[in-house]
Amino acid sequence: MNTGKAVRADLKVVPSHSSLWGRLLEGDRHAFAEIYEAHIDHLYHYGMHFCRDHERVNDNIQDLFQDLWLTREHLSPQVQHIRYYLISSLRRRLLRSLQRDRRWQHRDSWDGFEFEFTTPKENQLILEETAAEQKKLLQAALANLTRRQREAIYLRFYQNLSYNEVAGIMSMQVDSVYNTISKAIAILKKNLPFPLLLLFLGR
Amino acid sequence: MARKDYLSYTARDFALDEDFQQWVLQPATRNVFWERWLQQHPEKEADIREARQLVQNIRFTPYQLSAGQKEALWDAICGGLEDEAPSAPKTRSNWWQLWKYAAAVLFGMLIAGGWWWWQTEHTPAILSAHTRLGEVKTLLLPDSSEVTLNANSRLLYAGTDGKPREVWLDGEAFFHVKHTRSNQKFIVHTYDNVNVEVLGTQFNVNSAGKEVVVVLQQGKILLHIEGHNTSLALQPGEMVRYSKQDGDFTKSSVNADQYVSWHTGRLTMEDYSLADAAAFMERVFGKTIIVQDTQLLKYKVSGSMPIVYNADTMLVQLEKVFRMKFNQKGDEVWIQKK
Repeated sequence: MNTGKAVRADLKVVPSHSSLWGRLLEGDRHAFAEIYEAHIDHLYHYGMHFCRDHERVNDNIQDLFQDLWLTREHLSPQVQHIRYYLISSLRRRLLRSLQRDRRWQHRDSWDGFEFEFTTPKENQLILEETAAEQKKLLQAALANLTRRQREAIYLRFYQNLSYNEVAGIMSMQVDSVYNTISKAIAILKKNLPFPLLLLFLGR
Repeated sequence: MARKDYLSYTARDFALDEDFQQWVLQPATRNVFWERWLQQHPEKEADIREARQLVQNIRFTPYQLSAGQKEALWDAICGGLEDEAPSAPKTRSNWWQLWKYAAAVLFGMLIAGGWWWWQTEHTPAILSAHTRLGEVKTLLLPDSSEVTLNANSRLLYAGTDGKPREVWLDGEAFFHVKHTRSNQKFIVHTYDNVNVEVLGTQFNVNSAGKEVVVVLQQGKILLHIEGHNTSLALQPGEMVRYSKQDGDFTKSSVNADQYVSWHTGRLTMEDYSLADAAAFMERVFGKTIIVQDTQLLKYKVSGSMPIVYNADTMLVQLEKVFRMKFNQKGDEVWIQKK
């Protein structure tokens, strides 16, 4: 059963992490390199969706990994899911870094975590006019989602974090994560029977 | 898992269910349960298919670092940590303990049999080390020379005051030899007629395959080939390959980095073919690579990547680099075109 993996090429199957974490705490540099290799793509992707500022994302990822190594003796051995730990940490760092930067302070409503919704291949042979109209409708519907809601959807469906983890990262109740995703699914569901190609949210 | 009444679920309910999402997002994780459930309830197939589409078709704009950017970032991370010793301190301290132990023994011998010391004067210090598959060790020799021993290799060291320092190598190692004040020679013996003589320098010796390959990075070395009565002087960036089978040897100029960078944990790939990668995996991890379409072996890439001493991770990385499909069956790796 490999079809899903082929479609979502970004999801890699990585070896069990708890032992990797243990090795990191013991000062194993190979484990450190392995953690970097396994998570850098996801961290960068998250960072870019968060602020779309390559330099800032790069700097914060660099600090994150350096601190990870330097403070490894004080890290909790309890960490079960490394990606959850890394993304929470990167999120806090990016927030702090954005708050320090005045240019960003007026941009509460600034978008990010824009997603598109693709239809299965067999539905793609359609008239472009219909597609454009559908696209407009879906765009209008999805525009009702806030940035925070989109981020929750992103963390669940792209980063594959559990509802609990998403709630933890965003300081939300698990219920509201669930409701957010329910709302998005409802919007998408309404559009599913109709053929449509690509939909961009935001600009 | 909580018992859920999946029979009453609509497509939307499925799409919202965490367990169902998990199956769609990472099919390897929950497939047994869901495939069986679907078999038992074929009437739910349409709902399931629709729910799958809902979960699967949400796509986020891609942002991706290039391989070069990733590497630069990793170098920046490591650069900031430079104060720390880069080599594995564990191995070093083991040697140190061994050495302390040896010193203690020598001290005991000194007291117990001082006369014997007078007679022999030069008692050689003999040390040995080996690595298993997938393991690399950095050793600090008693003369302060540093040796990085690649996987599945063996090294024997003998040093006596006033006489040349000598090591016997089976496998591959990178040497950083300390020049001593007394201009004491350092000789690397392989078990295949090739001996390398140096004063102080950096070079790589690989006797693991059908050839003995010596690459000089810095300094100057003298190569003796037994049976040929020949001595070859090597300049930095030069390589000598000696065939164990027929005793032939050739000298050429190369990019030394490509042959020695493994000791700093990087794989330098310059016109690096799948055949080279196969040799690497076999050498370091004992994996046998099997390719049915031998044309694939000529497929080449250039770049570099960190070496991770974990066979699975390394295979995943190489799979990505060569854009091919690797299927692992025990110690065999079958490679196909993607």
